[in-house]
Amino acid sequence: MNDVAPALRNEVTARRGRTRRLPLGNWERALLALLLLLTAGLIAGVPGFYPGFAGFLALTENFLPFGFVALGLTTVILTGGIDLSVGAIAGLAAIVMASLWSGLHVSIWLSALIGLLAGGLLGLVNGLIITRLRTEPLIATLATSFIYGSVGVAIAGDNPPSGFPDAFNRVGTGAIGWLPVQIVLFAILAVLFSLLIGRSTFGRRVVMIGYNTDAARYSGVRVRQVLTLSYVISGTMAALAGIVLAAYYSAVRPDMGDLLLLSTITTVVLGGVSIFGGEGSIVGVVIAVLLLGMLRQGMLIAGFSDMVTTMLTGAILLGAIAVKNLFAGRGTGLSTLLGRFRRSGTAPAE
Amino acid sequence: MSATAAIPVRERAGAARRDPRALVLIGVTVATILLVGLVDHGFMSLQNLRFMVLNCVVLSLLALGQTLVIATRGIDLSVAPVLGLSAMVTGLMAQTGGLPLLGAFGLALAIGVILGTLNGLLVAKLAIPPIITTLGTYSLYSGLIFLYSDGTQVTSVPAAYAALGNGTVLGIVPIPVLVLGAVLAAIWFVIGHSRFGRAILAIGNNQAASYNAGIPVTATQVGAYAVCGVLAALAGLMFVSYTGSATVTTGTGDHMELQSIAVALIGGTAISGGRGPVIGSVLGALFLSVVLTALVFVHVPPIWYSAGEGLMILIAVTAGSRRTA
Repeated sequence: MNDVAPALRNEVTARRGRTRRLPLGNWERALLALLLLLTAGLIAGVPGFYPGFAGFLALTENFLPFGFVALGLTTVILTGGIDLSVGAIAGLAAIVMASLWSGLHVSIWLSALIGLLAGGLLGLVNGLIITRLRTEPLIATLATSFIYGSVGVAIAGDNPPSGFPDAFNRVGTGAIGWLPVQIVLFAILAVLFSLLIGRSTFGRRVVMIGYNTDAARYSGVRVRQVLTLSYVISGTMAALAGIVLAAYYSAVRPDMGDLLLLSTITTVVLGGVSIFGGEGSIVGVVIAVLLLGMLRQGMLIAGFSDMVTTMLTGAILLGAIAVKNLFAGRGTGLSTLLGRFRRSGTAPAE
Repeated sequence: MSATAAIPVRERAGAARRDPRALVLIGVTVATILLVGLVDHGFMSLQNLRFMVLNCVVLSLLALGQTLVIATRGIDLSVAPVLGLSAMVTGLMAQTGGLPLLGAFGLALAIGVILGTLNGLLVAKLAIPPIITTLGTYSLYSGLIFLYSDGTQVTSVPAAYAALGNGTVLGIVPIPVLVLGAVLAAIWFVIGHSRFGRAILAIGNNQAASYNAGIPVTATQVGAYAVCGVLAALAGLMFVSYTGSATVTTGTGDHMELQSIAVALIGGTAISGGRGPVIGSVLGALFLSVVLTALVFVHVPPIWYSAGEGLMILIAVTAGSRRTA
């Protein structure tokens, strides 16, 4: 393998060697195994789940918008923040796009671009409120989600535009050969985000802030800038999800993003990202997107109601985090406290 | 009562007399009533005042529970489905089975205790972050509503329930307001004058220090979530009694969980824990009810109501942080 002399192969180089061969942590590996098992089980056990390869891939169109939001939200959660306004931003951006297209007869592609920018702008507002007014992210984005939601309803009016050009709708439902456009888009963005979070200076800073904001500040990271930018990214990705949803349905509704919020937080956390920030990877989130999406589609095709599927998702979330806490005893931010409890003899679980 | 030196209780709850926020909220509420009342005299009518008070009872109950949980540095997103499940179960049993009112209270209590305790155990025993825990149980409990209702919904309730929701004592004081008053007094006493309340504030201030000081952290956390669950379930019973209806989306459809957090924040609760201004929470709900009704009277389209709510949260929170800074 490596031509490093045995004496020089200390723990760090050894770990680096391992990382190169399999860039997955334990959590990601467990998720991947679960995903493969689940998909195999669904294909074998649920008739109609595998209607040929193209049809199988097309299933992802139902849940990949969640994935777009999840990528952006991961960036925010890695900083230790949260963005509750992603659903409202998704709806508002889609409505901005649709209104420009139908009201002012702007080209749909230009409208979509403006919708994306609007999402970024709304994210910027979030970021500025959080960093300049020193508001907790939870509160700030809760408040802005109310405001953005209202603005969306106001712009949409009673009859929101629908019936977009076919070329645009292909973003949501079309395919390049047998490969759905949404998958191509998601794959490109997943790789970009993976590089951004895992390989770029910005990503390092994001994780560092989430791990220890004070330490990051003392090491010269411009915390406010990085935080604000992470909310801009989250807003832009939420807008993208809204626009893809608009293309999928060929219609917009101000409340179409409502479903996104809770499911996406579930996805990100299941993907191994600590809700306290500073820990997690894009790979895990991508696997979680596919895992939860496949599960949902499989259950729906098998005839279970949406609500039962939601219940199962909730149970999986709780179970996964409980297992993670119990076995790893790390990464929740409470670990030091937990360790103290354990040493003091309190049983960690009942 | 006195805060021990080891536990830095920043602000004693229940000391609403000295909390400027409560006074500010009362002042702003009265000012709003007078201002809008000058424009439209109907706003100051006894009937409308009663409506506004009645309207805030359900949200006040939720916000009181939320305040307790947030005081421990937690959060409870599952109050909305707990409210919905309690409204659905008690309502359906009253509608089809003729469940007596006392039984409904018992049932709501049981639902609240069980679901709330489950939240608390997950948070305290498994160390799952509160927001994740209650996000998960939000899905679980919503599913329970769906499974239990099985496509049916509550369309009417027996007379005893309607009296609980809409009746008055001596023709003046609405019964829901009495219920809220009793709950408020109890919670105010608990958080300001009981060992349990002081433990809640201590944990919210510094969990590790509380543990080292011998405060039963786990039990207190579980207790806080259980009380929150009970109040949410009681809110559900009050809701179904007041409106006479409950559907699968009751509670979750209007995002009651976010509303209750909003009201608690407007009332002066700090999201970082350690503060439990229970009177502020009720005043916050009353203020919200007054402002939303005022928007109707000055002909603001309903679509802007939630934007107004968002602005109020931002103002309340930034004003609060300035003062403490």
